[in-house]
Formats: sequence, C-alpha cells, structure tokens
Amino acid sequence: MKPFFATTNPLVLVSVMLFAAWPTSFAAAAIRNTQADEVPQQTLTDVIESQEPMVVKLFGAGVGNLDSYGSGILISEQGHVLTVWNHLINTGYLTAVTNEGRRYEVKVAGTSAAHDIAVLKLQSRDDEVFQFISPETFSDADAGDSVLAFSNMFHVATGNEPVSVVHGVISVRTPLEATQGRWVFPVRTEVLLIDAITNNSGAAGGLLTTEDGTPVGLIGREIRHKISNTWVNYAVPLSTLKPVVLNLLAGKKVESAPAETDEQAMISDQLLTSRFGITMLPNVVERTPAYVDAIVPGSTASSSGLRRGDLIVLVDDTIITCITDFQKQMAARRSGSRIVLTVNRNQQLETVTIKVP
Amino acid sequence: MKHPWLTSLLFLTSTLVSSENAVVQAQLADDAIRQKEAARVEMLRRITPSVVCVMSADAQGGGSGVLISADGYAISNYHVTGGTGPGLKCGLSDGKIYDAVLVGIDPTGDVALIKLLGRDDFSYASPGDSETVQVGQEVVALGNPFLLAADFTPTVTYGIVSGTHRYQYPSGTFLEYTDCIQIDASINPGNSGGPLFDIEGRWIGINGRASFEKRGRVNTGAAYAISVRQVLLFVDHLRSGLIADHGRTEFTLETSSDGRVVVQQISEVSEARRRGLSPQDEVLTFAGRAISSANDFQNILGIFPEGTRLPITWRNRDGVQTATIRLKPLHAFAKAPELPGQRKPPKQGDPRNPEEPPAPGLLPEQAPEPEVPEAVKALFEVRDGFANYAFNRMEKERSLKPLFAHIQSPSGEGAWILEVATEKGDSGELVISQEGAALTIGEKTWAIEASNQKPEDDVSMMPGLLAASLQWHRLLNRREEGFDDIVAFGSTIHLPTQKRFRQIVTREGIRTARWYFDDSSPFPAALDVEISEGVDEARIVFDGWTSGDIPHPGRIGTVLPTEEVVWLKVLKASKKQEGAGAQ
Repeated sequence: MKPFFATTNPLVLVSVMLFAAWPTSFAAAAIRNTQADEVPQQTLTDVIESQEPMVVKLFGAGVGNLDSYGSGILISEQGHVLTVWNHLINTGYLTAVTNEGRRYEVKVAGTSAAHDIAVLKLQSRDDEVFQFISPETFSDADAGDSVLAFSNMFHVATGNEPVSVVHGVISVRTPLEATQGRWVFPVRTEVLLIDAITNNSGAAGGLLTTEDGTPVGLIGREIRHKISNTWVNYAVPLSTLKPVVLNLLAGKKVESAPAETDEQAMISDQLLTSRFGITMLPNVVERTPAYVDAIVPGSTASSSGLRRGDLIVLVDDTIITCITDFQKQMAARRSGSRIVLTVNRNQQLETVTIKVP
Repeated sequence: MKHPWLTSLLFLTSTLVSSENAVVQAQLADDAIRQKEAARVEMLRRITPSVVCVMSADAQGGGSGVLISADGYAISNYHVTGGTGPGLKCGLSDGKIYDAVLVGIDPTGDVALIKLLGRDDFSYASPGDSETVQVGQEVVALGNPFLLAADFTPTVTYGIVSGTHRYQYPSGTFLEYTDCIQIDASINPGNSGGPLFDIEGRWIGINGRASFEKRGRVNTGAAYAISVRQVLLFVDHLRSGLIADHGRTEFTLETSSDGRVVVQQISEVSEARRRGLSPQDEVLTFAGRAISSANDFQNILGIFPEGTRLPITWRNRDGVQTATIRLKPLHAFAKAPELPGQRKPPKQGDPRNPEEPPAPGLLPEQAPEPEVPEAVKALFEVRDGFANYAFNRMEKERSLKPLFAHIQSPSGEGAWILEVATEKGDSGELVISQEGAALTIGEKTWAIEASNQKPEDDVSMMPGLLAASLQWHRLLNRREEGFDDIVAFGSTIHLPTQKRFRQIVTREGIRTARWYFDDSSPFPAALDVEISEGVDEARIVFDGWTSGDIPHPGRIGTVLPTEEVVWLKVLKASKKQEGAGAQ
C-alpha cells in the first residue's frame, strides 16, 4: 500500500468507470425491522466504541506484494481470535495488537480450509482476560441491513488506537464464485456482499456488525469475482461459521494446510525464496507471467546472475508461460543438478545457470 | 431513530408492515427521517457557496478549497496549489471564476492559504471543533472530484468518521498528516483541499489524502482530513505570507517494554534539559494531552507551528514535574519544497502507468505560460522564507503602524530612567539606554552591557529583565532601524497569559525577540527574547501602558521558568539628558 494524494488531472477521468462495476443492488433491499420503538437508543458512536475492542490487528510477514498485516475478531475471554486463513497465517510469524496497544505473539489453534478460517490464540498470561464476542451470539443478516465493518485496513491504526470502521448496506446474500490466482474461494454457502469498500488491504478477518452492534460477518479476502473480474466486498456470515468455530474452540477439529491440488507437485513460494533465493511476482491471476520480483542477496539465484525484473521463458527446454509452470518445473529438479534458465531481460534473451542446492 | 443511510430503505418497506400500530410507528420514523433529510438539504444549501474549485494557472490540474472569510481567504492543500507561481483560478458555485493569489503555505501540513479577489462579501465556512469529533459521527465532504462540475457546483459525498487522531507518515518526503480525521466518505482525485463538514454544517477538516491501492487512484473508503484545529493553529502564519514550519523537540522518546513513554536522548543545551528532563524520565502529557505511546507524542507535536511554547509534564525519581518548552523549526524551508511526483506533462504511453493511458485531446500539446493578472501581481512579492512577502508586509504594518503612531518623538539618544517598586514595596530605579541596562533596588545593583550581554549579570530574582528591557527600548527608540530583520509571524497562544496574540519577530545580532500584539492596545502585551543558544529566554509581560514622551508600562512582569510572574511596578519615567548608560 502506498499513500497517494488526491489531486487530479484529466487523465484520471478514465478511472471513473470502475465505479460502474461495484455491487450496489439496492433493489433487493428489504428490512427486517421497521418499528421505531424497537430500534436501540444508543448512537452509532456508542455502538462503534463497544465493538472496536473486539477486533485485533495482526502483523506478520508479507509474501511478494501481499500484505503483511490483517485483522481478527476476539472470540474468547482467553484470547482466541477468528480470522481468515490467508497467506498471513501461513507465514509462521504473527503478532496481534489489541485496541489499547497490548501486543501478543500468536499461535494457530485450528483451521478450516473449507470455510477459509483460522482460529488463533494470543500467547497471553493465564490470568489475562479479553473482551470478546461469544460465538454463541453470532447472528444472521440479510440484504438491506445497515452494517459497520471494523478492520485494520491499510494498517492505519498501528499502535494503541482502535481499528477503522466504515459503513455500508448488505446488497445481497449470494453464493460467491471468486478466485485469487489459482486459489478458489471455498465457501459454497451464501456470503454477504456489501455496498461499501470493506475488503481493503489488511481488512481480511475484520468484523461486520449490524448498526446495533450484532456480529454478523467475517470480512473476507481481497479477491476478484470469477466472471466480472471485479474486486468483491464480501463477508462470510458468522451464522454459517458458528458451528465450525465452536468446534475449533473445543479443539475437536484441526485441518492441515490446504492441499496443493494440482496433479503435479509444485514448489511453494516460500521454498522458492528460502531455497533458491527467488521471489516471483504474486501469483494473483490465472496465468501470472513468471517475472522475478526479488532476489535474495547472497542466494543461489543471486550468484547465478538472475535479476529482478527477469521474465523466465524457459527452464532447460521447457517453455514457461506462467508462474505455476515455473513452480512445477523447479519442484521436479534434484539437489545438485544444474538448471539453465532462459530469461527475457530488457527485450534480450539471456541464459543463467542455477545449481539446485 | 434509524440511522439516516437507511432513509430510502425504510420508505420502501414501511408499507409492508401489517399491524396498524406498526404503521403508525413507521410513520413516525418516516417523519423523523424526512425532517432530518430536510435539515441536511438546508445545511448543504447553506455551506455550498463556501466551497472553491481551485485550478492551477497552467490548467494542468486542480483540486478544491474552502473560503474562510468574507474578503476571500480560502484554505486548500499545498499539493493542490503548489508553492510557486502567484496566480490561481478559482470557481465558485455561482458559476463564476475568480482570480486568486497564493498567500501562505504549510508544506509539511499540506495546507495552503489563497485569497480570492474581486469581492468582499464571499460566503465562508464557520469552523467547528475538530477535537470533539467522534468515530461514527456523520460527515459530508464537498469538493470537485474528477473536476466533474463544469459550473463549479461542488460534489457532496457522505460518510462517517472512521477514526480520529490518526497519524499518516510523511509520504516519501515531507508531507505529514498528524492527528487527522479518517472518514469513509468517498474521496477521489480533485477532492484534495476541499472541506469536511459535520452534519450540522460546521467545517471540521480539509480532505487531502486517501489510501489508494489495487483499485487505482479512486476512493477506497479510507481518506484523511487535516483537522480544522491544526489549520487554525497555522492560519495566521499563512496570512503572514510565510512558508510555515512545523516544530520539533530537542529530545526523542521511545515506548518502553512496560508501555511507558520515556526519554531516549536529549540535547544537553536544550530548554527541556535545563528544566531537568533526563533520559529514562517518563513523559506523561504534552500540550495538554495524555501521552501513552511515542506515536501519541508525534501525533500531537505535528499540529503546532514552529516556535509554539507548550506545556509538558513528566515523572522522575522526585515525582511529577512540569515545564514549558518552545518548539524548534523542523524543516526551515527557504523555498517552497518540491512535491513528490510534482505534476509534469504526461509522456505518451508511459509503460509504468498502463491503466491510465493518456487521453488525447484533453491536454494541450504545450501548456502556454499563464498570464498573471495585474491585480494578482500587485499582491505578490518574492522573498526567501516566504510564500508571498507582500502579505507579510501587510501583517507587519497591522501591528507596528499603530505602535509607532503612539510614539511621539523617538529620541534615538538618551537613557530612560524608570522609578520602580517591587511587589514587596522596595523601591528602586531601572535605567535603560542603547549602551546597557541596570536595575538598582536598595543597595543592590544589577547591570548588563548591550554589546556583551551576560545572562548571569541579569537581575537574579527577575532573570532576563535587563536583556528584555534593552529590546523594548530599542524597538520604541529606533523602530525598524534597530533591527536586522522584522517579520510578522502569525499568531500564537502566549504563555503564561493563555491569550492568542499576533506575533512579530525581530532579529538583532544573535538575539531573536517575539513581540505579542492584539487589537486591545497599540503596545506589545509581552516579549520573549532568545539571547543565545543554551540560555533561557528572557520573558517579559507588560501591563497598563502609558503613552507620552516615554511610553512605558505600568507594570513589568518577568516570567520565571515555572510560569510564575514576578512584577515590578513602574511609578514614573523620565529621560536622562546626557552621559547615559549603565553603571
């Protein structure tokens, strides 16, 4: 994330068209409760102040250009946190910072790939207690409900300050077909689409409540819709997640890391970096070209002469059309063997030789 | 009551309710919402004329602004106006274009003051209190996103406050947003410099920055407004045509592992050090705000102009200590600094911006050099350290002209003899001349030479009295000629009086003096003199001036580092004819 400034020049006008693709299906709106006397008397400020302490800020390691920060919801007095099971959780090093600035190391307590969630545990002292949202209170919401989205978006609130909150309306409940690179959004049941930009960098794992503070959703990842290719602002209903979370809290079910489902073995992003010293561009579209994003100084790749910005076109004699191709090829090489990489560097084809460590 | 963003939804669904009672209830809710909507419409009608569409003279881009006075002063962002070139074009909701002149800039705070010309009855915004803004509060942002309105009618976007007291790191260079208001109202290119209002129509901020990322440079629901509190702390500096600077302290802080905010390093020659602040001391409050992290401190520090004197409290072994310290200059820009990514003519098909192809026909091939109107030229003067020196001249005159008009015949020569009495009733004599100053109380005499001012020779129970006396003798006697430089320096809250005064800063050799003026008297209300580096300022307050042959205050107070004031009554003033000087 880079902050920019909002000056304009006429060129920016082209960006306006992006708005047309945002989900704003007000037509489907319906409201469950229109009786004035049932609406709580507390102000929006009161609701927000009561909910802000429930959201923690997560800081870990980024992968490529993916964020190194995220959000989570406190769901037990002992400091269990519900969040999205994204790259941040898999990087192995994670810190959580509470509303008032307390900082904790975090361990993964349980995960569910099918629901795209992870339950974390803050490594707190035994006598420490946290404000939390009990999974028993996880509720349902529907199209037309006004909602508040609490998250660590853009890591604006880094220290002892509350997370950001934005307002919106649930546009529709619908199953979601979305992808992030080769990863496919696994939840088959309905999700909540929101008419505000809730799914910013670092917002995944944040809390969606109704305007009276009822917890209704877990803010999801930054992903694009499979058909329209537009960024989706969605939350998984907490009512859907309730039995899963209760199970995970009870320690009944712990899933291992999501299986790499491709028929052929692939070397992981992390291994490519740690073993060879090569970091590729984030693999975010169907066939991301195999551009080198970074080279670890002093690594095998570094001594071979591979450079940032190189586009890998051949591994020995095999044509590489995307990062996935490259990861499959690199996984198939034995330690000690030599690989000749042909790269496109400044419109020139060059070759470099790498010895597999 | 339902929150207003439900307005349309409630209306749509109210007919679905079957019970008669519920219908009545819904009707009541509808009425309340309609009333609220009508109030909002009325509020927007009232504030819209104060919103400015700011266009650079070269027609390369633009942003927004807000009028803050009937005579045309308007606030915008520095990154909208830039710091060079005097002339701007401004569109108002009346559909007319006005010439405007750049007055003052605050590059670090990303604020600029411009003055629209041609009218003295502009509609302007009334500031609210950004300190009381709460998360969840409704806000409206007005401005000209994408320069949509050809008739300059501003676009209104609605949202809530997403966060308060936010800190946004300097973006690459010097633009730092401290203590700002985060909102989820749509902020897009062109909104920059435009006002943020609360739902009652009070101006609470300047929208200037947003978090942009993968979606391109359009709204993401995370935008930041500079608080109106910060803008108002700087506005008189800007009115003085300055390149206003922010402040720094001469110590650094860190948050310790147990969560305390402690002093990391401190300059040995700093004022804070002289007050006793030491490494590992725990800082408790600064500028009246509790400090619970090193970031908190940075956040509050960032809203004040350089030179502001602020209270600080800390805890050491002996308990809680208090003092006041003056902020040092942060950047001291001599010239308007270049903005990050300053607008340059776009290259055709820049490969780095594949999503923003140049739009042919929208830009002239070569922007012609803009012609500066005569009215603007007349109000613009270049000088290092100033955005527009012409305005400094005007502000200087505002304070000094009435003063000099009250001095009948400056002698230029001769010593003043003031008969004085201490608070205890001891009488004595204060003699001030160009050569030196001396105070005699009973048997005891203190004296300093003008050419070699030794602070240790100054009056022990009224430190700085003689050094300060030399300065006001010099100003009243020799006027502008007595100083190497005189500038108007905006306004500040003066301690210990807690009143806001206009500041005039004079320099004479190594001595810098700050003079505090307001409209209640042509004479200065107070005077602070920096005698030299590493020495406490001489701080004097004046009370009850008498004009006449020798204009003099009825009482002279010396401000101690504890902010206590030791008074000296002036009973009578006369002029020594010859052989004047200190003993």
